[in-house]
Amino acid sequence: MTAVDPRTARVPRPRTGRPDSRDAELERLRAENAVLLAQVQSRADELDVATRMLAARAQTMTSVIDAVTEQSIIGTDRDGVIRVWNPGAEKMLGVRRPEVVRQRSIVDFHLPEELEAEAETCGSAPGVAALVHAAQQQGSDVRDWTYVAADGSHRTVSVAITPRTDDDGAHAGWNFVGTDMTEARATERMKDQFVSLISHELRTPLTSILGYLELVLEDDQPLTDEQRAYLSTVERNADRLLRLVGDLLFTAQVDAGRFSLHPLDVDLAGVVRAAEETARVTAATAGVEVVVEVPEDGLVVPGDAVRLGQACDNLVSNAVKFTPAGGRVTLSLRSAWSMPDGTTSDAPRPGAVPVAQLAVSDTGIGIPTGEQGKMFTRFFRASTARRNAVPGVGLGLAITKAITTAHGGTLDVVSAEGEGTTFTLTLPLPTA
Amino acid sequence: MDRTTSVLLPAAPPAPSPVRVLVADDEDDIRALVCLAVAKAGATVAAAVADGTAALAGARAGLPELAVLDVSMPGATGLEVCAALRADPATAGIRILLLSAGASSDDVARGLAAGADAYLAKPFGVSALVRQIQALATRQPA
Repeated sequence: MTAVDPRTARVPRPRTGRPDSRDAELERLRAENAVLLAQVQSRADELDVATRMLAARAQTMTSVIDAVTEQSIIGTDRDGVIRVWNPGAEKMLGVRRPEVVRQRSIVDFHLPEELEAEAETCGSAPGVAALVHAAQQQGSDVRDWTYVAADGSHRTVSVAITPRTDDDGAHAGWNFVGTDMTEARATERMKDQFVSLISHELRTPLTSILGYLELVLEDDQPLTDEQRAYLSTVERNADRLLRLVGDLLFTAQVDAGRFSLHPLDVDLAGVVRAAEETARVTAATAGVEVVVEVPEDGLVVPGDAVRLGQACDNLVSNAVKFTPAGGRVTLSLRSAWSMPDGTTSDAPRPGAVPVAQLAVSDTGIGIPTGEQGKMFTRFFRASTARRNAVPGVGLGLAITKAITTAHGGTLDVVSAEGEGTTFTLTLPLPTA
Repeated sequence: MDRTTSVLLPAAPPAPSPVRVLVADDEDDIRALVCLAVAKAGATVAAAVADGTAALAGARAGLPELAVLDVSMPGATGLEVCAALRADPATAGIRILLLSAGASSDDVARGLAAGADAYLAKPFGVSALVRQIQALATRQPA
């Protein structure tokens, strides 16, 4: 067949009224036919290309979904009837795709009691409605659900539920993308149990040690100075052990996301003065001067007094610990304005928000520049700390950082080895 | 003194009998420590037991004014004992001090929700325990 470009070809106009027009008419019809054929062929080619593209796209989607073997990807229609079931779902639930698609409901793989409880909580109808209620309200929902596998075993699965739309954008059903968290959650539970066991097992003997020590030290029978000194050493070390237990427990709580704040109005100036008081004896013994500069009329921030005290104590005791005799630690508290770029100024500026800023500066041994990025990592100890045999396990700053972050604040450090370190704790103040 | 206007004076109130305290903790050393604190507080130990079931039985039998309960005990936990005492009209008036190795604010909240009058985290100072016992001993039952 002659190739005719259907885009440029024109169907010839009919010519009539001449006796020899029959041949011409035939010729015209042939040409017309060729043009039409070419147009049909062209449409067929376009359709073929489009079909191939669609098939390729579908194949890409299928191959991606089929490549996911560790997460379940389940697609359903609006009634929860399963339409998509990937190898991850096969592996997690022990049922092959042909056995479920168009035959089973997503609800068949859920724990009925859990769906009933959810229906009751959110006031929806039971079944699929309860399952997708939150996703329907918020556009998506991620939470743990219990899947029931073919062998009856239960899996704790973190399921992300999103609505599925058809080609016209109309709601067509739901996607359920699940990650098996059974082992992870079991590990978390074990960790929690371990933490509470440690809590109980360490605090209980410490209660006895500290309690009986107190009885001996406060007994009417006088102790010799030597005996008193020995017992004070025991008491100091038991206290240290107790703080370590507390720090470990607190770190575990932060990890588990189970650390809650009890916010009230807290006078940060009072917290800073108390931290100085706590560190006073240690500082005096170490020959370190502690200077406190706080606003006389106080500076009130919304926060958890106990936790902010803990953060402040950590910064002050660190500064004292890392400062050699003859050095100085300055605790300076002020209100300031924080710019969006992180800088602060004393006066309000457009876009600035009010903050309380506590700077704890020392003239101590400093932290090498290369190590400053790891400062807030648990159990991290600066090389200068190890070289100078400064005691500690490396939890204080991680805890201080967690407390600061939980208050919506920031903790920054500027340090030069051999010159000193300044930690700046910035907390948001309520906007008037 | 005018003899003609003698009045009948009310009898002097008898010296208050010491408050009786039930002590329950499964740790022998701590139970002994709490008993010492009870004595220092001017109260007497009604019974000292090592598990929750015995604590509940002791409270029901002896009806002490105050119970010092460890939270973590075999048999029944301090929280369970506390809730059971509050639920029974006969023992609902017993003042309760919980001792626990759990020191988080959630632990305190759980203890108070179970009906405890006060909560002391381990390790506690003996003087703090003495003060707490004295405060609860002088408080009028609800």
